[in-house]
Amino acid sequence: MSSIRMGTGDLAKYPFLNEAGEYLRESGFGWEELERPDMKDVIDRAVERVEVDVGGNIYDKLDRYEIEILTFLVSLIMVKSIGTESVLRKFALAEARRAEKFLTEDLKRQNEMQKRSLFAKIFDDLFKLKIEISEDGRLLKVKVTDYLARSSHFHEQEWKLINRLVHKGYVYLDADETVRLVRNELSALIYEKIKTMTLPILPQAIKVKADGLRTKLAPRYEYGVTAVIDYPPCVKHALEVMAKGENLPHSARVMLATYMLAIGKPVDEIVLIYENAPDFNEKITRYQVEHLAGMKGSRTKYSVPSCDKLRIENLCFATAECDGIINPIQFGRKRK
Amino acid sequence: MTQNTTAKTTSAVRSAFRGYYFKPNILKAPYKIEQREFGYMQFGQVGMVRHLSFNSMKELTATIMKEVPSDIYCSNAYYHFPTYPMQEKQWLGADLIFDIDGKDLHLPCVSSHSYFVCANCGHASSAPDEKKEYACPLCSCKQCDSASIPCAKCIDGSKKEVKRLVELLTSDLGMQQGDIQVYFSGNNGFHIHINDSAYSRLDPQARSDLVSYISGTGLMAESLGVRKGNAQNLLLIKFPKSGIAYGWRGRIADKLKINDSSMIKLKHVVEQKGGYTPFKLDVDRMAHDLGVRIDPQVTTDVHRIFRMPGTLNSRSGLVKIKCDDLNSFDPFVEACLLGDNKVSVRVKTLVKLKLKNKSFNISKESAELPAYAAVYLICKRLAEAN
Repeated sequence: MSSIRMGTGDLAKYPFLNEAGEYLRESGFGWEELERPDMKDVIDRAVERVEVDVGGNIYDKLDRYEIEILTFLVSLIMVKSIGTESVLRKFALAEARRAEKFLTEDLKRQNEMQKRSLFAKIFDDLFKLKIEISEDGRLLKVKVTDYLARSSHFHEQEWKLINRLVHKGYVYLDADETVRLVRNELSALIYEKIKTMTLPILPQAIKVKADGLRTKLAPRYEYGVTAVIDYPPCVKHALEVMAKGENLPHSARVMLATYMLAIGKPVDEIVLIYENAPDFNEKITRYQVEHLAGMKGSRTKYSVPSCDKLRIENLCFATAECDGIINPIQFGRKRK
Repeated sequence: MTQNTTAKTTSAVRSAFRGYYFKPNILKAPYKIEQREFGYMQFGQVGMVRHLSFNSMKELTATIMKEVPSDIYCSNAYYHFPTYPMQEKQWLGADLIFDIDGKDLHLPCVSSHSYFVCANCGHASSAPDEKKEYACPLCSCKQCDSASIPCAKCIDGSKKEVKRLVELLTSDLGMQQGDIQVYFSGNNGFHIHINDSAYSRLDPQARSDLVSYISGTGLMAESLGVRKGNAQNLLLIKFPKSGIAYGWRGRIADKLKINDSSMIKLKHVVEQKGGYTPFKLDVDRMAHDLGVRIDPQVTTDVHRIFRMPGTLNSRSGLVKIKCDDLNSFDPFVEACLLGDNKVSVRVKTLVKLKLKNKSFNISKESAELPAYAAVYLICKRLAEAN
């Protein structure tokens, strides 16, 4: 760890740093204190934080630093005790985006020295990503290999290396772009933190709230094995990933929605399929499904991508039953 | 070709290859030899023997001497268990490699030294300029393979691509010249191996992004600051924050004769070309012309077994050999390392070639040639043992 000390303000923004835990230990905090009546505010804030995060928004309160550091810790305990994979993933993603927002603001505002300490602490310590300040001080730069290892999983053309300023082994980025580069790692870091956490015997005050949240946030739509029995293996695979609340690439989501539309499933039901996705937002999903159905935007009805296209995108999980079909929609129809 | 001739021909090549592999210290141990997968092809047999592993050069050399393979390959990847099936090998990383093949450059000289070899009877004839449908004059078979004897122009063409690649790797990607090793492929191109461990962990997706960068595909007009506005024909010109001084942006800016302070000039350029779409097409064309013609499959494949340096290529009998000085490198001298004992061959067509600084202008059907030249023509399927 670098020797620069973070202030409580920084720890409230980036409570996943090991220093946040050290800070709590140094201030003499113990689990039993969560039973104290004056901790009610922290517990209520933690409930709010989990609900806001899992709802697809970002919890951005930052009015009382010490309280927010504690709130983060309590919300981790709650998510762990809820024990639902989709809640954990949504929470981790939202917390990553929260940190991303603060990081971008900090990088834009701070002077060079402060920036350097922030890089050392967050990018270098946590993600082994060395970020330097460009020669003229206006931009940031990362090594080409560090850039490629992260950006090649983004789909937008603008992230392709050829569309970046590349010089002498470095890619030049602004603050927003630099932070976007580590979003997935931030989310994975928070996810792992909760996954590997061992829960203490929960104070009653937290247990009651966590139980309440578990019922409230339980996935509303479960997929039975029988429901997917006749789908082609690519669709089955996508449904399984969704049911587990794991992330599904955009192209797979398009395939899933166009397939469901093609077999005549109503939009409302299709939207629910995506409910467990870590980044689920009902309004956006509905618009996208309606767009694919030709009800919105360009009014073009999208067809199911061909088996060839799915193969190229690594979305094909063909079985012997797929023999002779060129589009997933033919699955089962040509079967003898 | 009768069975007897086939056997005799194979035996002549195999014997020349054996002579080469029995020379001492011709192969160098690849870095982390024990983590590499090896494979080879055998004379007269279809398919490849692979998933092999050797702990030392001694073991590898012993196998080569015993089998005398027609081609020898070594993975660019490192594995925990190189001999296991692909899914169980446990991939640890792979050297970054590039393949520049002369035939992908579509040079105008190619037709003057190309031949059709009938897939059925092996009859060889020179390939005409126009792409007419092939029919063998002897057996009327409609299928043929093509053979080419690369000329000095072909090699120069490939060398130019190698130099452009090296320039891109050093100036843009910041690689050190000493980490870039250039090998003659053993036939009609060059293999470039990168010794930089930072690249060895990159997955196929990241390598594919690198391929697009090197070949100049996917450059957006937006990255030069040219955007389409909402209204028809409206242009928005604003340079990106990081400027247009270096890399691909710099290369295209040079072509357009603009720089970081010539936003208005850029607007004129785009308008002169007829707006956003024609400008975009022009950028695509320029980037394609300035890009390097590499084989994308080779660079993105992280499980490939690739021709091993120092070994013979059965499509020519030449060696995949390191080029210490690319400018002066002459593959027909430096990679031509087979013996010169006389081999009697039947040459199928009129052919000219120059090997080991010796010119061969063969017009007679039967010829006594030094082994290196006889094997070269046999490997090209333009001759067979007599």
